[in-house]
Amino acid sequence: MSIASDVRKMSRGWRWTRRPLPPQSAEPHHSFNEPKEFPTDWARSRPARAAREVLLRGGLNPLVRRETSMRVDGLDIFDDLDGPVILVANHTSHLDTALLLTTLPVQWQRKVTVGAAADYFFDAWWRAIGSALVFATFPIERHGQGLSDTPTKLVEQGWSIVMFPEGTRSPDGWTRRFKPGAAALARTHGIPVVPVAISGSFAAMPRGRNWPKPGRPPIHVRYGRPVRPLEGENTLALNGRVSAAISALIDEADTDWYTAARRAATETTPPSAGPDVAHWRRVWQSSAGPKTGTTRSKAWR
Amino acid sequence: MSRPGFVLTVDERTPPLLMHSGESFKLQDFPLGTRVIYPAESLPGVPDLDEAIETALLHPIDKDPLPTLLHAGMKLTIAFDDLSLPLPQMRKPDVRQRIIEHVLQHAADAGVDDVELIVATALHRRMTADEIKAVVGERVFRSFWPDQLYNFDAEDRENLAHLGKTEKDEDVEISKRAAESDLLVYVNVNLVAMDGGWKSTAIGLASYNSLRHHHNAHTMVNSKSFMDPHKSELHSSAWRMGRVLSEHVNVFQIESTLNNDAFPSQYGFLMKREWEWSLKDQAMFLAMKRGVDLMPAKTRRKTFQKMEAPYAVTGVNAGAVEPVHHKTLEKVHEQQLVEVNGQTDVLVMGLPYLCPYNVNSVMNPILAACLGLGYLFNMYRNKPLVREGGVLILDHPVPWEFSTLHHPSYVDFFDEVLAESTDPKVIGPKFEQQYATDPWYTHLYRTSNAYHGVHPFYMWYWCAHALDHLGQVIWVGGDRRSVARMGMRSASTFADALELARDTVGSSPTITYQHAPPHILSDVR
Repeated sequence: MSIASDVRKMSRGWRWTRRPLPPQSAEPHHSFNEPKEFPTDWARSRPARAAREVLLRGGLNPLVRRETSMRVDGLDIFDDLDGPVILVANHTSHLDTALLLTTLPVQWQRKVTVGAAADYFFDAWWRAIGSALVFATFPIERHGQGLSDTPTKLVEQGWSIVMFPEGTRSPDGWTRRFKPGAAALARTHGIPVVPVAISGSFAAMPRGRNWPKPGRPPIHVRYGRPVRPLEGENTLALNGRVSAAISALIDEADTDWYTAARRAATETTPPSAGPDVAHWRRVWQSSAGPKTGTTRSKAWR
Repeated sequence: MSRPGFVLTVDERTPPLLMHSGESFKLQDFPLGTRVIYPAESLPGVPDLDEAIETALLHPIDKDPLPTLLHAGMKLTIAFDDLSLPLPQMRKPDVRQRIIEHVLQHAADAGVDDVELIVATALHRRMTADEIKAVVGERVFRSFWPDQLYNFDAEDRENLAHLGKTEKDEDVEISKRAAESDLLVYVNVNLVAMDGGWKSTAIGLASYNSLRHHHNAHTMVNSKSFMDPHKSELHSSAWRMGRVLSEHVNVFQIESTLNNDAFPSQYGFLMKREWEWSLKDQAMFLAMKRGVDLMPAKTRRKTFQKMEAPYAVTGVNAGAVEPVHHKTLEKVHEQQLVEVNGQTDVLVMGLPYLCPYNVNSVMNPILAACLGLGYLFNMYRNKPLVREGGVLILDHPVPWEFSTLHHPSYVDFFDEVLAESTDPKVIGPKFEQQYATDPWYTHLYRTSNAYHGVHPFYMWYWCAHALDHLGQVIWVGGDRRSVARMGMRSASTFADALELARDTVGSSPTITYQHAPPHILSDVR
């Protein structure tokens, strides 16, 4: 047997490109190593940042804008901000990270990093390196295997952090319960949370797709006014305010700023968790995409 | 905390599994559903070996403390296991050296002048001076070699003592010096459950006249298995002889047990479960495999034979033979026993480069057969791993290669005896006496480093139980001429071997792979 076939056999047998798994019958006898955090410091180094800027501005941004019909609102909120913030968005698609990174003002884009699921984005070395380089990701354990001190360090170093507090992509396009990690981080460091509502990415590229649907589906990214932790406010209360802010932004995408503001004031904002109906109807409604408010002129009548 | 052994079921996630194949190893894919028996991880060694030895000597089981048995003017003999134990050889200092030094210190304190040390070789080859020095250490060697430290000679009629016969008319004939000593201290290394007990003195220091009563095809077929002393006819015979021996000799037995650390740390992947191999382990495997496959045969053999196991001593017990051995077996079982549910149609084993009789030598086809069919097949309790009429698949190159220094009678045995019959029950009566009394083989045994003339018969008898039990034996990657001479079948690959096995066990047999070394004693339910 040649060395090449030995290497092939080993790469297949030991799942070099995938997450290693013990045989099922060995699981009770397997000592799982303490999960070691994938090192991502290198992805925030000067050369990696320069490479990322080229990739985002020269590759990803034109690509996203070519494949989708994107509208971005609310970027003026960054004019009054300096220093690290937590960017919190609803999460329905793998497009969301790309949408956020490509729509952020350049000076913010250079100093932002994204919390990504350790068990998904960091389970194989090639995926970990790729996502860390292009999206500046760092691993977040979703299943409570101990808290990482990486987000704290990043905020202390002046990095803004993108977090999707639902923990995973929505299966039906509506938002799920927000986990309090982002709010806790903001409260601990006394930094603002910038709510972001992304509408249409579920319709454009839901779970199971790895490329947007053809036809440049419409997507709406709306940045909201920062939510600042209040004196004496606990994490759950802050988390609730962030969640409400995103619901209001989603409502704003469907209606208009004033209507959404009035509904928010009277606490009549439609729940972003969606109607309590059958799963298919929730998916049906989400997959229709956002109301764009404009009718594109058709080339053919 | 060491993890116990267990039985794996091969599924889609299972990587190819390591398999020994003589002086090499390979990665073998197994069909889904194959059971794989994994050994337990190594037990921790005793925290302070000197303290453990001293405690055993001062608080022996059913004996007076050693210092009270020693006095000036007495005749003291210390016998110890030869280099067939442990395997691979132990990293220095050997546990025998540590124990012997403690015993000798007590003897010196008591003013004992007449001390002799005997390597209990029985019909094994004489150990060389360097080999003995490696076992007993420089200090002991310098004090006693060569007149008071020597190999046992089973053909030195003047120095043998016939102690009588057992109730089954078995001769008990052992070293005269040992028999006439005021105290016989036996220092053992109990690697597997077969070793130790009365087997140490009643076999290790015995002559052919004594050994022939249990080293024969009939006894071996009825030793089910000789790794389970309670069901071993071989051990029953040794125990009967031991009782005769104990009427004449005061035996102070010291037994030590080892853990499963059979390979040095640089070969750590040989001890790990494959799915836990790190990238470094995988690279190490690849480098080692390529390296040994490219080496000239001599260098390869030297590389493997030089390997020293970092065994840790898990226990030292001393005192009367039988209660000491009982304690020893408990410790061996704690390390090696793995519970297995039910027998299998096909048992698969990869044979390593070493067996008890080819230390610093060549593993010839007879020794390879003895390792597979004699030793590893018998590593069970209750019932064999493979069902009666089942198939045993062994992976080993089985080279037609003999050491004329160590195994001269093997050459003739292979050429003449096996050419006529491979049935242990047939060849024993017909040829054994001739080989046992051949003056040239006896001369080489006594003066050179040759195994006794009868030794290849014993190796073949070790296989008797397996040959009687199995429907077919298939060797993967073996020299076809050697395998055919032994009356067995060859296959080029494991897949071919399974194809051949269909004739005996049908098209969808149950398969079990015994993932050894290190040692596994399967407790088959």
